Amino acid sequence: MIEFKNLVKTFGTRTVLKGVSFAIAQGEILFILGTSGTGKSVLLKNLVGLMRPDGGEIWIDGEETSRFSEDEYLRVRRKVGMVFQQPALFDSFTVFDNIAFGLRRLEKLPEDQIRERVREALGAVHLAGVEEKYPPQLSYGMQKRVSLARTVALRPQVLLFDEPTTGLDPVTTTAVNQLIQELSRKLKTTSIVVSHDMNCALSIADRILVLDQGQIVDQGTPGELKKSQVPLVRDFLAEVLA
Amino acid sequence: MTKVASSLLTDIGGCVLFFKDIMRTLIRKPCRRVDFFDQVWKVTVQSVSTTGMAGFFVGAIMTVQFALQMKEFGALGFLGGLATSATVREVGPLLIAFMLSGKVGAFTSAELGTMRVTEQIDAIRCLGADPLQEMILPRFLGIVVSSFFLLTLGLIMSIFGGMIMGAAFAGVNFEEYLRHIPTIVTLPSVLNGIVKCFVFALVLATICTYKGFTATGGAKGVGQAVVKTAVSTMVCIVIFDWLTSFLSDITVRVVLGAQ
Repeated sequence: MIEFKNLVKTFGTRTVLKGVSFAIAQGEILFILGTSGTGKSVLLKNLVGLMRPDGGEIWIDGEETSRFSEDEYLRVRRKVGMVFQQPALFDSFTVFDNIAFGLRRLEKLPEDQIRERVREALGAVHLAGVEEKYPPQLSYGMQKRVSLARTVALRPQVLLFDEPTTGLDPVTTTAVNQLIQELSRKLKTTSIVVSHDMNCALSIADRILVLDQGQIVDQGTPGELKKSQVPLVRDFLAEVLA
Repeated sequence: MTKVASSLLTDIGGCVLFFKDIMRTLIRKPCRRVDFFDQVWKVTVQSVSTTGMAGFFVGAIMTVQFALQMKEFGALGFLGGLATSATVREVGPLLIAFMLSGKVGAFTSAELGTMRVTEQIDAIRCLGADPLQEMILPRFLGIVVSSFFLLTLGLIMSIFGGMIMGAAFAGVNFEEYLRHIPTIVTLPSVLNGIVKCFVFALVLATICTYKGFTATGGAKGVGQAVVKTAVSTMVCIVIFDWLTSFLSDITVRVVLGAQ
C-alpha cells in the first residue's frame, strides 16, 4: 500500500506539486495522466527517493519514507523499481551486465543465481539471446525492454514507469503496453504508469488519475473517466476518439 | 553583477561540498580496484601523446629563451640546469594541468553530463549503488594518479627537447647540458613541482566531475557543462598556481630547513 499525503514540491519559485494526495492499493495498475510539466515524473522520483518533497508525506507499507536517509532508501528501492523515460542503460556494459548490476549491488546474489535471474528477466520481456550485446547494438524499443528487464530482475513489489512508450513507434508502443499489463498480472506487482497515452490508460489501467498544474483534477476507473466533464479529461478523450 | 557573484559563490560552494562528499566516499566506501585501474589507464593513454609532445616542445622553448640571455653572460654551461629547473618548478605542472583540462577534463565532464541527462545516474541510485562510489571516485582518483605519470613523462620529454634544442641552437652538447641539472634542480624544486601537480590534479578532478555530475537540460546542458569545466579549470589552475607558489615554497623550506 502506497499513500501520498498532501505532497508539495517546489523548484525555485515554481511549485510543481501543490498538495497532492492519493493512495494506491496492492496489485493495482494506476495511470497518472497529464500534460508536460505538471509534475507526474516528479511524483515518481519522490516516491523512490531521487527527489525529496518540500512538504507532505509518503507512506509505503506503513512507513513514512520522505525523511529517510540515503541508506534507508535502499530498503525502499528493494521494493520499488523504476523504469525511466529513457532506457538509461550503461553503454559500456553488455545487456547481461546491465541487468546484473542491481542484482550484484542491491541483492548481492552469487553469480549462478544472477545468471538465472537475468535469463528469466529477458524471457519476461521476450528478448532472450541478447545477453552479450551492448546497448548501442539494439534498437530503441529493445533498449526500453532491456531497461524493463533490469528492473523486473530485482522482483520489486511496485513498478514505476515514467512515460514508458515515449519515442516508440505505434507497434512497439502496443507491445510495451501489453508487457506492462502482462508483467503486472504475472508478477502480481503494483504498477504506477506516468503517461500521455489515454488510449493505453483506458485499455489497461485499473484506475486513472489526472494531474494538472500540480493538482489532481479527476480520478476514477476508465469507465468513470469516460463520463468525466473535466475539460482536460475531455481533451484527452477527444484525442483518443480522433 | 549580483547574479554573477551569486552564481560564482554557488559554484564554489557546490565544488567544496562535492569534494567533501568524494573524500567521505573514499574513506567509507572506496571504489572497486578494477574501476580505479581502468580509469588510470584510460586517462594516461588518452593524454600520453599530447603531454609527451607538449613536454618536448616546452623544454625546447625554455632552452631557446634561456640561451638568448645566458649567451651574453658566457654562462651557457648552466643552460640545462636552469631550463630544467624552471620546467620542473613551474611550467611542467602547469602545462600538464592544462593538457589534462583540455582532454580529460572535458571528456569526463561530457561523459558524466550525458549520464546525468539520460537518467543513468538516477538508474544507478535506483539499482542500489552510490553514483559517487561507482562513477565519480574512480574518475577522480584516475585523474589525480595519472597526472603524476604524465608529469614524469612530460618532464623527461622536456629534458630531451631542451637537450636537442641546446645542441642545435646554442651549441651545448648533451653531456654539458645534463651536467648542472643535479646541482640546480634541487629536492625542494622537485617537491614544489610535485605539490603543484597534485593540487592542480585535485582542482581539475573536482571541477570536471562536479560540472558533469550536476549537468541539467539535455544536450545543451552537457555542452554548457563542458565549456564551464574548461573555463573554470583554467582559471582555478592559474589561481592555485599563484597560491601554491607561495605555500609550497614556504612549506618545503620549513620541512627541509633550506634557506
